[in-house]
Amino acid sequence: MSDRIGRHVLALIAVASFSLSACGGSAPPSQTAAQGTPGTQAPADQPVNPDAKALAGFLERVNEYVVLHQKIEHALPGLSKATTPQEIDTHQRTLGQQIQSARREAKAGDIFIPECQAVIKRLLARVFGGPDGQALKASIMDENPGIPNLTVNGRYPDTVPLSTIPPQVLQGLPKLPEEMEFRFVGNNLILMDVHAHIITDFIPNAFPQ
Amino acid sequence: MQNGAMLTRCSTAAALVVLLAIGGGSATVPALPVAAVEAQQPGAALALTLPNKGDSLKFAVLGDFGTGSKQQYQLAAQMKRVHDVFPYELVALVGDNLYGSERPQDFRKKFEDPYKPLLDAGVKFYASLGNHDAREQRYYKLFNMDGKLYYSYKASKQSVRFFALESTYLDPEQVAWFEKELKDSNSDWKIPYFHHPPYSSGDRHGSDTRLREVLEPLFIKHNVSVVLTGHDHFYERVKPQKGIVYFVVGSGGQLRKGNIDKRSGLTAAGNDQDLAFMVAEINGDEMWFNAVSRLGQVIDSGVITRRK
Repeated sequence: MSDRIGRHVLALIAVASFSLSACGGSAPPSQTAAQGTPGTQAPADQPVNPDAKALAGFLERVNEYVVLHQKIEHALPGLSKATTPQEIDTHQRTLGQQIQSARREAKAGDIFIPECQAVIKRLLARVFGGPDGQALKASIMDENPGIPNLTVNGRYPDTVPLSTIPPQVLQGLPKLPEEMEFRFVGNNLILMDVHAHIITDFIPNAFPQ
Repeated sequence: MQNGAMLTRCSTAAALVVLLAIGGGSATVPALPVAAVEAQQPGAALALTLPNKGDSLKFAVLGDFGTGSKQQYQLAAQMKRVHDVFPYELVALVGDNLYGSERPQDFRKKFEDPYKPLLDAGVKFYASLGNHDAREQRYYKLFNMDGKLYYSYKASKQSVRFFALESTYLDPEQVAWFEKELKDSNSDWKIPYFHHPPYSSGDRHGSDTRLREVLEPLFIKHNVSVVLTGHDHFYERVKPQKGIVYFVVGSGGQLRKGNIDKRSGLTAAGNDQDLAFMVAEINGDEMWFNAVSRLGQVIDSGVITRRK
């Protein structure tokens, strides 16, 4: 595992802990992660918060995916700051095909493991259950037509716009590596590989009812 | 002491404003009824009300344009006509740069071909991303994003810095970056631009109040005077909000006719009858602007004095 990834795991665990406390109104995640808040890893003799453990499990799987992603992407010609559309297209589709091939057995719930799905749904329920919940949901559902037959490891359709994730919602979710983003597709929360345009995993019906 | 950005309507009587007339146009162009607009050709008379000083920063604003439609090309031709007499050096793109697929041929049809005359003239386009844009656009050399989803750059003239934000995914890191950039900038004019409008009278989308909640305090704190956005497919200048003038320039390629909700109480000037772009000129503490339609009408104009 590269140093960069290793550092990222520590930051992710710190942010996972933040995400659980964020709903109680603590400091912004950038501060928490940057400061490496003491106590983010519980000593062995203290009980482990099951929600933190579930999110850490999710982030470990995200990280494993990113290691695979980077291994494949680093073998491809890189994108410079001044790239042609042809180079962009070739890079994106080649990367996508190779990741799809490497994960041909992938299925829903591989990364959004069941324990973490429950935690993330609770996080979202708290965010959307607040006084701005309806407005937040309206922002997300704006130009969000959904995708028929949402498929793990499938390509995100070129013609479907990306849903907007309000900052108030992002503050409540774990921080992801640069390669990944949360997006809503209809009322499903997807984990998207933004370099490869692949739906890495999804949580169905993530919106609180 | 912070003063609100002052905005006054341009007129031919304004001492500093020199009329640029093309084809015998006048400074005051009355709005035409829809049928008349449809009947006109894009080559109709064009009249700008801008000082056009040699040492000014001149720029254009364009949004929601990448359709590849005939109307997009007509507006692009109008942009070139304006550039011929008002040589703006850059175009701030407020997102939705390519609709639908983004294959190499789409980049050509929806961007490189319509704006070729401007690109050939050395005009630089600085993109921000909208909800229809793939993240890889940041690597596209003609969008000058330097591989970044959000970035800032200093203009070559006057004391102006632009901040291109990514408003579909405004995570805590981006907010922190933006605040630091604003704080560290000593430019007189700090101009953020991004896709989703904190204020808009759009019946389809309207004001993004969640975004406003996060960004507006930063704008106020750091003396932002002007904010440029898109997303709603029309042109609107919003009445100053807490001293800041917000523009919606989502009228670059796919009009939503009649979509300005006149009951919003926000509209200082608006046009939802034709595609449009905006040109502006900054010199010292003042920014002049014209919004120009596909048919060459100046549909809005004014001058803004920056907040201090």
